[in-house]
Amino acid sequence: MVPRHSWDECGLSESMVSLQGIHKYYGEVEPRLHVLKGIHLEVGKGEFLSITGTSGSGKSTLLNLLGCLDIPTEGSYFLGGRDVSKQTDNELSRIRNEDIGFIFQSFQLIPQLTVLENVQVPLLYGEHSISEREDYCRGILDSVGLSHRLTHQPSQLSGGECQRVAIARSLVNDPLLLLADEPTGNLDSKTGDEVLELMDELHGQGRAIIMITHDLEVARRSERQVKIKDGLIMEEQK
Amino acid sequence: MGLQSLLGYPMRTILTMLGVVFGVGSVIAMLALGAGAERELLQEIGRLGIQNIIVNSVESEEPEGTNASGGRRGGMINFYGLKFKDHRQILETIPGIKKVLPVHLNKKKVWNGSRYLESTLFAVEPEYLETFGLNIELGRGLSSQDEDQLARVCIVRPGLLEELGIYENPLGFNLAIDDQQFQIVGVLGEERFQGYAQKALVSDARSSEIYVPYNTVLKRQGTRSFSGGAGSWEATDVELNQIVIEVTDLDRVLIVSKMVEALLSRNHPEKDYELIVPLEVLAQRRKTQQVFNIALVAIASISLLVGGIGIANIMLATVTERTREIGVRRALGAQRKHIIAQFLTETTTISILGGVLGILLGFGLVQILVLFTGWTAVITPSSIVIALTISVAVGISSGIYPAKRAAALDPITALRHQ
Repeated sequence: MVPRHSWDECGLSESMVSLQGIHKYYGEVEPRLHVLKGIHLEVGKGEFLSITGTSGSGKSTLLNLLGCLDIPTEGSYFLGGRDVSKQTDNELSRIRNEDIGFIFQSFQLIPQLTVLENVQVPLLYGEHSISEREDYCRGILDSVGLSHRLTHQPSQLSGGECQRVAIARSLVNDPLLLLADEPTGNLDSKTGDEVLELMDELHGQGRAIIMITHDLEVARRSERQVKIKDGLIMEEQK
Repeated sequence: MGLQSLLGYPMRTILTMLGVVFGVGSVIAMLALGAGAERELLQEIGRLGIQNIIVNSVESEEPEGTNASGGRRGGMINFYGLKFKDHRQILETIPGIKKVLPVHLNKKKVWNGSRYLESTLFAVEPEYLETFGLNIELGRGLSSQDEDQLARVCIVRPGLLEELGIYENPLGFNLAIDDQQFQIVGVLGEERFQGYAQKALVSDARSSEIYVPYNTVLKRQGTRSFSGGAGSWEATDVELNQIVIEVTDLDRVLIVSKMVEALLSRNHPEKDYELIVPLEVLAQRRKTQQVFNIALVAIASISLLVGGIGIANIMLATVTERTREIGVRRALGAQRKHIIAQFLTETTTISILGGVLGILLGFGLVQILVLFTGWTAVITPSSIVIALTISVAVGISSGIYPAKRAAALDPITALRHQ
């Protein structure tokens, strides 16, 4: 896989993610808060991109847009060649379910559910039934090294294990894009490294990953880095 | 999946459920009492036969017929009530009547050796017993042959045999009634007329009536009965104490009763009779009973309502508590309808479970009530269906507002919620 280094080098059809002139305003009345001020970004299939930025730079907003939790005020967002910037709430839910795998800083596991059940949650809202994907879920948990923890609850796991459950959950519907929001933010450096290794592994398997972080050390683990500042993509490294 | 969160907080779930349990329990108990009362009513009044009309003689308040009978010392004869003429006219002029049965009553002392019992002698035609569902347990009923031969035979109730100490084979036993001997040819079942039916049929309080052929009494003894001792006596002369009319068609009962009423009011301006239409009485009593039932169930439903409010309250608190979970589920692809469905499933599960437990509680309550009060209570299948339906309704209606609140949460804010 040849890494793509900038959005203008690759054709639209080859991009997994294509952001074109994205603006995001907050608020209904003037002066509205102008958070994203014309973002252009292309991410190719199988690319591992990190986005860094200080707080208030607009990276969370960008993450929400990339994760289809929100829609841009202006501009287009193509995910896997499909314009997802003007979809209904239900359609966005379906895209989140099928095409995006979320990995959160604070894991966001559901405390009452077991490890296996947590991993199965996305299946509740998609086309595949839980029984149909039972073996698949066990397989994923096995691949992240948690096959011995299936019936444990999140409170019985360490932070690193929790994050691995979350990663397993993000893979359940075989998404187009993995979206990691400070995946190592709540972990010590050793377990953080383990999680990053796992992400490298997934990247090695050809998955497109976008990781948002403020930690440049972590960002350096990715194949390509961009920095966001004041609502604009400022520079690309590597 | 929603159910795990119920299991996650078992104590809270049980407490939430309790409101529905008690609500459904009391609804079941109240419905059972209502149904029991209605069944009692049906049994009581239904015994009179809803196709029948019963007319009883009553002493009018200003006895018009107190004629001194000539030549007797201090004697007064009290004439009142239904006449043979009434019987004949009803039979001849009113259409749609299957049969008209005349009944003559006499209070008599019935003797077995030195033991006696004050009893009511019912002079009836053979069909009378059948009309009121009086089953012969032993021996035979009255027959038209008895009527023709003015036979001195009688049908008795087991209560009377006991009182008089006739224990061994009562058939063929001769009872002394006044100065005459009546042979027992049949014994009725234990079943008694109760409440309204007892009053309507002028049945004996101790249910020790004796049924004898109509003609035997009328032709041998006449209609006059005497009471009092030497020197002064009183007599009453009532030709017929009761007329029982059976209407051919249920639809015609009310019309026929109007016609009978019209006929009798012409013959008896002093109104020394009363008309009893079981169908009407039943309808009235049922109406009253239903109002009563509705009131009872409405009161019981208030506790169900409170139970529902309890569920809604807990669910609202739960929505706040589980905001992050809702955000996660939304991020993982749950649509609003999925969130609504999840909360509704939880509330409905709580309320259905509560409903089932409430039904069990209701059974228990009914048992206890019946044990301590002796009332009749019937748990009908429909009351169980009603209780379960109400539980589901309570579950859905108490869940809908919290569920909508949950679904309306913005996933981004919900995910950030601490």
